[in-house]
Amino acid sequence: MDFRIEDELHLLVETTALFGAQKLASNERVHEHQRSVGDNLQDAYTEMGLADLETPDSLEGAELGSLAKCLVNEELAACDVGAAIALDRLGPALYPALEFQGAAAVAHLQDLCNGSIPRRVVLVIEETDRDPHQPISLHVDWVPAQDVAALMLLGPTRACLVVDGIETQPLPASGLRAAGASALTLTDALATEHWTDPAAASRAQARSRLWVASMMLGVLRATCDFSRRYAGERETFGKPIAHHQGLAFLIVEMNMALEAARLLVHEAAWRLDQGEEASLESASALIECIESARWIGPSGVQILGGHGFMADYPVEKHMREVRTLGLMAGGLDAALETAGRKLEAGAPPLDIAMPTGEGE
Amino acid sequence: MDFLIPQETLKAVEEVRKWGRDAMRPAGLEADRLGSPLPVDHPYFHRSLEHGEGRTKWRPGASAAGRPGAAVHAMWLAEEGAYWDRGVMVANPGPGLPEASVLAQGTEEQKEKYLGPFIEPDRPRWACFAMTEPSAGSDAAAIKTTAHKDGHAWVLNGAKCFIGGASRSDWILVQATLDASQGRNAQRSFFVEQGTPGLGDFKIEKKMGLKAYESTSFTLQSCRVPLENLLGGESRPKGQAGFKTAMRTFNAGRPIIGAMAVGMGRAALDEAIHFAQETGLIKRERIRDRIECMSRKIRSARLICLRACWLVDQQRPNVMEASMAKALGAQVSQQAAGLGLEILGNVAGTGTHLIEKLYRDTKAMDIVEGTGQIQRVIMARQLVGLPR
Ligand SMILES: Cc1cc2nc3c(=O)[nH]c(=O)nc-3n(C[C@H](O)[C@H](O)[C@H](O)COP(=O)(O)OP(=O)(O)OC[C@H]3O[C@@H](n4cnc5c(N)ncnc54)[C@H](O)[C@@H]3O)c2cc1C
Repeated sequence: MDFRIEDELHLLVETTALFGAQKLASNERVHEHQRSVGDNLQDAYTEMGLADLETPDSLEGAELGSLAKCLVNEELAACDVGAAIALDRLGPALYPALEFQGAAAVAHLQDLCNGSIPRRVVLVIEETDRDPHQPISLHVDWVPAQDVAALMLLGPTRACLVVDGIETQPLPASGLRAAGASALTLTDALATEHWTDPAAASRAQARSRLWVASMMLGVLRATCDFSRRYAGERETFGKPIAHHQGLAFLIVEMNMALEAARLLVHEAAWRLDQGEEASLESASALIECIESARWIGPSGVQILGGHGFMADYPVEKHMREVRTLGLMAGGLDAALETAGRKLEAGAPPLDIAMPTGEGE
Repeated sequence: MDFLIPQETLKAVEEVRKWGRDAMRPAGLEADRLGSPLPVDHPYFHRSLEHGEGRTKWRPGASAAGRPGAAVHAMWLAEEGAYWDRGVMVANPGPGLPEASVLAQGTEEQKEKYLGPFIEPDRPRWACFAMTEPSAGSDAAAIKTTAHKDGHAWVLNGAKCFIGGASRSDWILVQATLDASQGRNAQRSFFVEQGTPGLGDFKIEKKMGLKAYESTSFTLQSCRVPLENLLGGESRPKGQAGFKTAMRTFNAGRPIIGAMAVGMGRAALDEAIHFAQETGLIKRERIRDRIECMSRKIRSARLICLRACWLVDQQRPNVMEASMAKALGAQVSQQAAGLGLEILGNVAGTGTHLIEKLYRDTKAMDIVEGTGQIQRVIMARQLVGLPR
């Protein structure tokens, strides 16, 4: 057992945090207002290697694993989650490409994104597999993206990539506006590529959930940190509000829940990095983040009282965004479904058997 | 025991329902889309006036005694109004929050002067109550706005924030202290009329929700008002009366705020159920169970609000129940909106669904008129003698 983060990852976390603090945090409201991040920022992100964290070595990426990605996501999202999503062009759509096929599919997705206008690939998780030979008609009510290069549909055992015929309709959006927001429609579109492999699908789904969960951790951390600092400074009835036990306990509960959720995310990520399927663990980690977000977001606003309700402070934005984030990758109900199915199939939820490194 | 709702109340609720559907809901959605309060000359306000709103209960010479069952009746109407749009409800013209204080404490001249124009208003008119300051909200005894006597005038100095409708109000009932070192004992309320020199720097805040009405900060800089603008006049009793008057304004309102929250929670749940039916999600046990749980919580919160109001009607103490109603109502309304978001799934992300607006709107209910924590402090004082 060792809860320390390896030196190499530690350095990565530190440089990411610095990038976040300098380039994202101070422009959070600007990005939200503009509904995009600037080209300069995208370039800086790529230059730092953040765009190719999980990209295979053969494509000159760092080929790091889930844990590294989760750590980076948390750092960026703690500064500006909308920008963090906007900057990550492939987002969780990377995972089906990686898990089903590998470098070739990833290279293809990268090419699709790197046109004259930067575009993104969007992942949609579906309850049932598509027949890849049938035309696909579908409406997705909301995705946090504006310019969509391709749509990756991920079912229980199969992934389909759709490149042509994607119609987008801009939306006001309740949060994550920096990443853009649209409704997507496909009418009789054809999958340009498709893969079938239950194990790959399961891992892709697990990694996608951790992608979302780790972004949520960042926002939750930002809420916890901001409101705790504020509570130390603001005074009522002759003392800092943090020293009223009612609020002190709330602050403790928030930080406890954050740590608990974070450890679930880290353990699941570690298991994935060991080659496990970690389907139950990833679903649980996301569920925990979503459940905690239900009350941590609003509590951040609450601690600031009336000030928290105003756009002058970031907590109202956190409250909206963390809830919106929880809708991604199928959201709560899909994760509950996965976890429930695993349990039904007899997965021992608290099994202490260590991974063999060969997958399940 | 009798849980039957009187016919008269049912009829009144039905009226609010019609008005809410036709006028309030659309106005609220419009303001939310615009991201700013409904302007003073918005047609909604004129319609609202024609519809009979924006008026005072006060009549010259009439006794102050309320009619029997008035609080419970008011509770049902508050719940129904907030169901359609709580922001618009607050935006409505009328003597608003300070009316109760003026009725309870004002001199006959003050009632005539300040409530008189609201009997048959010639145009939409507003009034507001200003307690909160940038550095003092929950700790209302710590406000710093001062009032001192100078010849034939009171001179006010200070800053207020988050005041509902301040920039459009005919007059603002401003809470100020005669001597900040004396805490609550030295607080008094003053009528400050719009346009009084020294009253200014109005700034409308950008809010997360409840966008239909303005929450405004302003300053008072050597703002002189005549001596007779002191609420209750010079001869009113000394001691804690000033602070108590202000607190009474809030106390009376607590179960009503709770009921508004219940109405908002009910709106969110109705929308969620509707969505679940349309999409077939209602067939899923997991969804059904959560809807059952939520409707149970809302129902119980409503009953607590009702009981708190019933105690008012019985002229019995209701400190515990009023705080419970406020705390629980705010809690369940947020939970209902949150559940709604989960049921909507991706639709919640669009930023176009009523539930998403309610998710933002309901948050304020745990902050305004005594935060959830303050309600718990009040209850803990009652239950376990929590020291101040
Ligand atoms: C939409 C909106 C409309 C409003 N309209 C009006 C209006 O018309 N007129 C008006 O006068 N005011 C108005 N207010 C202000 C409102 O009444 C205050 O925001 C509220 O009383 C809280 O005060 P505060 O914001 O200063 O928070 P603080 O008092 O600074 O509280 C910060 C946090 O500390 C907690 N806290 C404080 N003391 C304790 C304690 N002893 N124990 C445990 N926790 C504690 C609070 O619960 C809160 O979570 C409005 C506010 C909003 C959001």
